[in-house]
Amino acid sequence: MKTEGTILEISRMSTEDGPGIRTTVFFKGCPLRCGWCHNPESISLRPEVQWLAASCIGCGICIETCPAQALDNSDDGVRIDRSRCTGCGACAEACPTTAMELLGRTWTVDDLTRELVKDRVYFEQSGGGVTLSGGEAALQKDFCLALLQSLKREGISTALDTCGQVPQSVLAELLPHVDVLLYDLKEIDPARHKAFTGHGNATILANAVFAAGHKKKQKAPKTLWIRTPVIPDATGTPENIQGLGEFLRERLDGAVDSWELCAFNNLCRDKYTRLGLDWIYAGRDVPTQALMDELTRIAAGIVGARGVRASGMMRNDSTG
Amino acid sequence: MHTADAAKSTMKEPSGLSDRIRWLRDYYFRGTDRAWNNEYTSWTTGTPWDIIYNELTFYIVPETYPLLNTLGASYLQAARRVDLPDGFWRWPRVERRAWFVREVIVHYVPQEILPGDLLAGGRFNIQTSMCFTEEESRQWISLVKGKNGARAKMKAFHDHGYGNAGATSGHLIPDHERLLRQGWKGVHGQLLRLYNTLAETDREGEKGAQLRAMVTASTMARDLAAKYKALCLEMASGEKDEARRGELQAMAQNLARVPWEPAATFWEAVQALWLNHMLVMTDENYPGAGVSLGRVDQYLYPYYRKSLQDGMDRNFAKEILKCFWVHANTAYDAMIRNGNQGITAGFGQLITLSGLGAGCRDMTNDLTYVMLEVIDEMSPILEPKPNVRLHQNSPEALLDKVVDMIESSQGAPFLLNFDERSMAGMMREAKKAGLERLIHPGNVFDYAPVGCLENTMVGNDRSGTVDNNLNLLKAVELALTGGKDLLAFTDPMTGKTQKPRQEGPRTGTATRFETWEEFWQAYAEQTRYIIRRCVDLYEVSESIRARFFPTPYLSCLVRGCAEKATDVTRGGAEINFTTLEAVTFATTVDSLLAIRYLVFDKKVCTMKDLISALEANWQGFEVLQAMAKNRAPKYGRDDDEADAMAQKVMRLWCDETWTHTTKSTGRRFRPGMLSWNYWAGDGYILPASADGRLRGQFLSNAICPVNGADIFGPTANTNSVGKALGGKTDSGAGDWEGYFNDLPNGASHTMTFNPSILRDPVHKDKFKAFLKGYAHNGGTALQINMLDPVLLRDAQAHPQNYRHLLVRITGYNAYFTTVGRELQDEVIERISHNRF
Repeated sequence: MKTEGTILEISRMSTEDGPGIRTTVFFKGCPLRCGWCHNPESISLRPEVQWLAASCIGCGICIETCPAQALDNSDDGVRIDRSRCTGCGACAEACPTTAMELLGRTWTVDDLTRELVKDRVYFEQSGGGVTLSGGEAALQKDFCLALLQSLKREGISTALDTCGQVPQSVLAELLPHVDVLLYDLKEIDPARHKAFTGHGNATILANAVFAAGHKKKQKAPKTLWIRTPVIPDATGTPENIQGLGEFLRERLDGAVDSWELCAFNNLCRDKYTRLGLDWIYAGRDVPTQALMDELTRIAAGIVGARGVRASGMMRNDSTG
Repeated sequence: MHTADAAKSTMKEPSGLSDRIRWLRDYYFRGTDRAWNNEYTSWTTGTPWDIIYNELTFYIVPETYPLLNTLGASYLQAARRVDLPDGFWRWPRVERRAWFVREVIVHYVPQEILPGDLLAGGRFNIQTSMCFTEEESRQWISLVKGKNGARAKMKAFHDHGYGNAGATSGHLIPDHERLLRQGWKGVHGQLLRLYNTLAETDREGEKGAQLRAMVTASTMARDLAAKYKALCLEMASGEKDEARRGELQAMAQNLARVPWEPAATFWEAVQALWLNHMLVMTDENYPGAGVSLGRVDQYLYPYYRKSLQDGMDRNFAKEILKCFWVHANTAYDAMIRNGNQGITAGFGQLITLSGLGAGCRDMTNDLTYVMLEVIDEMSPILEPKPNVRLHQNSPEALLDKVVDMIESSQGAPFLLNFDERSMAGMMREAKKAGLERLIHPGNVFDYAPVGCLENTMVGNDRSGTVDNNLNLLKAVELALTGGKDLLAFTDPMTGKTQKPRQEGPRTGTATRFETWEEFWQAYAEQTRYIIRRCVDLYEVSESIRARFFPTPYLSCLVRGCAEKATDVTRGGAEINFTTLEAVTFATTVDSLLAIRYLVFDKKVCTMKDLISALEANWQGFEVLQAMAKNRAPKYGRDDDEADAMAQKVMRLWCDETWTHTTKSTGRRFRPGMLSWNYWAGDGYILPASADGRLRGQFLSNAICPVNGADIFGPTANTNSVGKALGGKTDSGAGDWEGYFNDLPNGASHTMTFNPSILRDPVHKDKFKAFLKGYAHNGGTALQINMLDPVLLRDAQAHPQNYRHLLVRITGYNAYFTTVGRELQDEVIERISHNRF
């Protein structure tokens, strides 16, 4: 199989990306621009380099190596001129310490499959498998499809973690090879959705309905999990959860196996710094336990308690 | 909720203890404040040439080297004299020793019973005279302390970074099952029968002496039990509390029967087991050194079941066992005034629970759960060390219990043995040594680990599981230099520096090697050399022990010794190995990978540059060091190419190890990987290594990847370990089913997780699945530390609040606050999987 894809990271023994023990493949590239994104390195489809101060020994090899003269020394360490950097990765290849890191590597389906079957026994014992995440895996449609097919041939259970902002025809092609669909629904109000993510939610909602129907009619995916990021003062409002809940009840009725409210996490601050990006959520705190409890109660009130759960870090109210 | 959990995670606390047990447990932890304790007492024949203290047994404990003279002298100085019978000095040495030990423990050492205790058998730690004649003393001193004696050879081996070796006590599982079934009466009867059938000439020779000594030893437990019985009755007569009076009378009744008669009840069986076990430590003059108890939930089960049928309360069974737990910990009293760290942290009275039985049936029973509850409720406490045997079909209920215990085990680490891989190793051993008669598919599931995690058969096997500890990395050093130390050795005591001499074979000038294959050949030859050198060193102490330090009581408990009329120290056991435990495995593999990558594959530097860098401890070679650390392939990442090197290294040293046998006792060498704490201490001795490690940084631990190298998480780490041991085939053509295992002894594999991985039932199920996956892909033994780095840093800052916090070092637990700062930091650093 010649199809190639750009992969950010392969994370083994993942316990948070679907049922059982999983290996999660993070694809590069995402159609949305969520302000709170905690994988900013996955947004661009292009390979990028980043510099990790803690690992650098100041040898200067990267600067000498760069064919685009995009690197130089500054008081803050190695500076990357992103207008010049082509993401070729020569600096990362030469760096003795891995302080200079290439985000996004090219894989063939065969090589990636070989890597992913290594944890087969743990998948089998746990009811787990491989999760394609990102970024947005469906953005690299051909590669994503070929990888899903290859994994199914190996008898590996598959999950697709999608934001839903993809053409319905793409989803239609992928779903027959997906066992577990992890579907993000962020915000029910179209204007707020556009403000938060750069896109309205019409496609996403329509695709959710399509996926739910596909599940009922074609039995693929076998399992559908909805995930909602709880961002304080953005998606984390009672009105939004109420609205999403009603959408789940009315439009996806019976197809949803679980609805997870994922607490906002601010541990990714450094990632933005390394990529030379400002982050509007940098000062934002994780939600309080009380907020998560309230939202969970609202969600459970609409779709039933059994399928709803909260995850992630929360603050104790007292430490406010 | 992760952060909330982390902040809330607290140390394991004992729970569900009765007033009796809580008092006994608390009293134990009062240490030297107790009215009496089980500190060594020492006993002499009173001759001016007497020797007390067999230092050979401490040769594998480098921390004790500076103390050897002091300990020997102080035991001698403090020793009380024992009146000797007429004719004592005309008896053969083994009979003198048997009589002396028996006399001391029965007639000289006081007997005490603690308030509320349900088991008799208090003091057992003694140092007894070697019972030498003047001539024997002279020989011992010359052989041990002479210019080319055992001690000097051992020190040179250790000083130059090879490791250590010495004939060490314990480290076996006595035939407790038989002792409970037949009582000492049965053993005594068998010994007399064997003695009476000896030919006249044999009777007058060594065989006769050995059997007479064993006959004497076989009455030791009976006579000690009689003493305790009298004490129980005396205490009962003065006891005002009716319930306690009844208990003391019942204890007297137990002691009237066991351990001489076969045990009839659960209480009797546990009482007998305790006395039989503790007297091994008495006989060897060494507390709890891997004197392990084997499959206690199996051989105690018939007594447990019968007593339940006869009306015993399940909780009372737990109460009896908890008393056993307290007794086992008093082993640590031996040198109580030296603190309970370092040399005394290595005790391992290991018990084994669950596992496979005949017909590949799971053997979990109610007593398994009783014991797990006892462990849970008593923890954290060091002894006896629990080991649960898991396999592909372990019952869900057992796994649930184990995972629950792991979850709450902060400060109470847990050891799991994996049957299929372990049994494959035992089958390999049978094939290699031609022991198919003694180890075969019909009994291999009877194996059990001793000490820390070393697999042996039970009741007939002494495999010297900690006797040889060899740093494989030394062979890389010698291959780089053509057989010399890389650095000059400076004696820390005298400050004198020795120039490196030719030690190993002249394998050529590494700077002239043109291919990787040439370097590999040099490494292989040096590996064979360091193994031969270890074998030669071991022979010294093994032959001295065989000649001078018989243990006739222990010999009664090991099948083969009576039949052969040969002491266990002379190869009397049916199964006799001595184990070569390879240390620094991953550091060695990664160093070889780095040399191949830097010098031959990528040609980043010349061999000369690399050697200069190592001589300079990487100073001035920081870029090269960074490449060695970060760019060269590493073992532990489930990278087939790197793991192929691990397999190659494994196969090489194992093949060489199997070719050796001790000359004096005929014990075959077998391979294993334990590492104990040597990977920490020897890191200061061995020079910088090609994997980027600085001198003074720790070496790799047993079969674990180099600390921090396992960047792809626990499953990749596990897969690498399984592959290094030989992997698995789908065809079923392995050593056991599809499993291969080059290391019959087994290999220590430690992983540390953050408690949040078990934060809810869904995640517990995932962790259970990980353990099941480990049974397929992993090693022989997994030790899990559930530790929160926040809590550990707090423990460093406030040790007074964390006195009972246990951590697993490598196959042994130690109180965190008593281990050195470097080791503490290492443990914290190990928590590499905290992204969960």
